[in-house]
Amino acid sequence: MTNQIELAFPSLPENEAFARMVISSFLVPLNPTLSVLSEIRTAVSEAVTNCVVHAYPLHPGKILLRALSQDGFIQLEIEDYGQGIDDIDKAMKPFFSSKPEDERSGMGFALMQSFMDHVVVQSTQGQGTKVIMTRLIKLDDLSDEKEDSGKNDKRTS
Amino acid sequence: MKEACSDAGTLLIPLSGELDHCRSNLIREEIERKILHSPKAETLLLDFSQVSFMDSSGVGMIIGRYKTMKKRGGNVCAQNLRPHVDKMFHLAGLHRIIRILPEQEENA
Repeated sequence: MTNQIELAFPSLPENEAFARMVISSFLVPLNPTLSVLSEIRTAVSEAVTNCVVHAYPLHPGKILLRALSQDGFIQLEIEDYGQGIDDIDKAMKPFFSSKPEDERSGMGFALMQSFMDHVVVQSTQGQGTKVIMTRLIKLDDLSDEKEDSGKNDKRTS
Repeated sequence: MKEACSDAGTLLIPLSGELDHCRSNLIREEIERKILHSPKAETLLLDFSQVSFMDSSGVGMIIGRYKTMKKRGGNVCAQNLRPHVDKMFHLAGLHRIIRILPEQEENA
């Protein structure tokens, strides 16, 4: 089964929780474990927070969130049209932050890479950034608990 | 056994909700103020029992409070971490600077 969503919203801090909620709802039919759900929610939260903090530092701008689910394969895209990243390799280094004075831990990209199978970052200065992340939901990632959702349909291929 | 974090010099702060960038910004000043108003507290004890989510922004906020406590010669402890928060603590290396207390029974 293929499912796909596209959502545009402004880079307001309160939309970080909104984006996580949307992704949770999108993934529920796959019946992932709570642990897998938390990991993917974290990866989305990091990408969206980067847009709020770094892409649009002065005024809110547009964030585009796309999610695709196909036979347990998940692809997430978080795109902005903000200021872009001048050195992607440096930005992705664990514990590097361009804003350490704001108590940024510099772990955003490292967490996306830990929690997703594959992370690609495309960025052009002055034009924006797109983060593409994929993860395959394996059999081990599926929840055995049926009482939560009231469903017992396992993923079918 | 006497725990270093359970004496009178402890400032207990219960955290709640989802510790992301938005929420961390909202509670940072409040926690900082409580620390300043408790000059005798040697230990800041953060209770995570009501925290359902934490990302790197939450981690940054916790490290900031650790720095505040360290500057005055104090320390930070944490308790009641749910599995996702515990995972974030370990990935960020927070467990190396913040002592995680064993699961607390209901306080007698």
